[in-house]
Amino acid sequence: MKHYEVEILDAKTREKLCFLDKVEPHATIAEIKNLFTKTHPQWYPARQSLRLDPKGKSLKDEDVLQKLPVGTTATLYFRDLGAQISWVTVFLTEYAGPLFIYLLFYFRVPFIYGHKYDFTSSRHTVVHLACICHSFHYVKRLLETLFVHRFSHGTMPLRNIFKNCTYYWGFAAWMAYYINHPLYTPPTYGAQQVKLALAIFVICQLGNFSIHMALRDLRPAGECLQGAGGQLGWVRGSDFLFLPCLPGSKTRKIPYPTKNPFTWLFLLVSCPNYTYEVGSWIGFAIMTQCLPVALFSLVGFTQMTIWAKGKHRSYLKEFRDYPPLRMPIIPFLL
Amino acid sequence: MGEWGIVPSSVVLTSFQVMSRVFLIWAVTHSVKEVQTEDSVLLFVIAWTITEIIRYSFYTFSLLNHLPYLIKWARYTLFIVLYPMGVSGELLTIYAALPFVRQAGLYSISLPNKYNFSFDYYAFLILIMISYIPIFPQLYFHMIHQRRKVLSHTEEHKKFE
Repeated sequence: MKHYEVEILDAKTREKLCFLDKVEPHATIAEIKNLFTKTHPQWYPARQSLRLDPKGKSLKDEDVLQKLPVGTTATLYFRDLGAQISWVTVFLTEYAGPLFIYLLFYFRVPFIYGHKYDFTSSRHTVVHLACICHSFHYVKRLLETLFVHRFSHGTMPLRNIFKNCTYYWGFAAWMAYYINHPLYTPPTYGAQQVKLALAIFVICQLGNFSIHMALRDLRPAGECLQGAGGQLGWVRGSDFLFLPCLPGSKTRKIPYPTKNPFTWLFLLVSCPNYTYEVGSWIGFAIMTQCLPVALFSLVGFTQMTIWAKGKHRSYLKEFRDYPPLRMPIIPFLL
Repeated sequence: MGEWGIVPSSVVLTSFQVMSRVFLIWAVTHSVKEVQTEDSVLLFVIAWTITEIIRYSFYTFSLLNHLPYLIKWARYTLFIVLYPMGVSGELLTIYAALPFVRQAGLYSISLPNKYNFSFDYYAFLILIMISYIPIFPQLYFHMIHQRRKVLSHTEEHKKFE
């Protein structure tokens, strides 16, 4: 068996950073990254981007050396992706914040509203309902992060946690301030409006959860995928969450409706989880009749549409027989 | 012009500048009549006018492939004075508008209202003024960096002529 030699150069300066000899032909990029870390411990594998061309795309961890278009002496270019943080950490932090922050406003902790309102309780039922809904939503997200989702990639750049937390925590505080304000005005159409909106919210929460579970059951245990973009990646079938992502077959499956009626939305959209998520927030906005909530829904919708379009495009690229009726996020429209 | 690929300016930086100018003109100077006689308005109008005359001459001549060195020099040098001049005019104008905004409750909405929303334009203007602190140095030093790149590049070219 012929061994390979691998030299790793800095993509910007072309400086020779590392030379590996006697590399097995069937070694993966992941294994090469591990070897590289030995000589440069500050660049742990999650931070490394290795490519065949200094300006080219990053090679994937599962790529096998032998299968790359290289001679027996392979030249790889290295780019530092910067400090990385695990997806799980980011998600837990960005979701725990709104849960906690909203409650500070709900309980009217001192220094938010006038002192005469400290620790008082709203006399409007809808305000208590809103607190339950908002809290439920983020508890659901935290539990899904821990027990349902499986994140391909594993890490993201550290600066994302600041950006993401600012978004989630900032909006949570802004919404919570008005809903729990002593001068809050309940919805114009009263209990009718609240009931309808609550129904929309609950249905969409169930729908969103159903989709997450359906995605999780799509693939047999032990496989993993590279997600597109920065959104929630595919969910693994395994019940063990923290198994390392095993390289293996990259076969994806097209998601289809299951017996659960909530999953029937797959007939019409590629990313029904996002559809249901927007629906939940629209429900919450109608329920609280609060403009900041509507604005938050709009911003979230914009971002999720971008993600949905990306996912939809990658489905179309990957599957010749992808159902033509499906739209990315809104049935028939978007 | 950057977004149509006609000139090589960054869309983000240019949009920023355009938005800030539109804001100063419409949301401050036009909206608060009392500041229209302030000297600070004259200050930023002069700064912007001179800047734009030079900038667009620069773009025009560049597109015609006949750029006199004087115009290039002016574009990448005069900003050193014009930029702080413009920023001073802008900040002083916003500052002058504050009491009138407060008094008239301009563009502000308070609780209670049926959309459960509030906006204090006075506080917003103060936030805008504060935002100049991180933003202005970045833009200014970006231009200084560009100046070094562009004017030294010309020096080298001149050697081969």
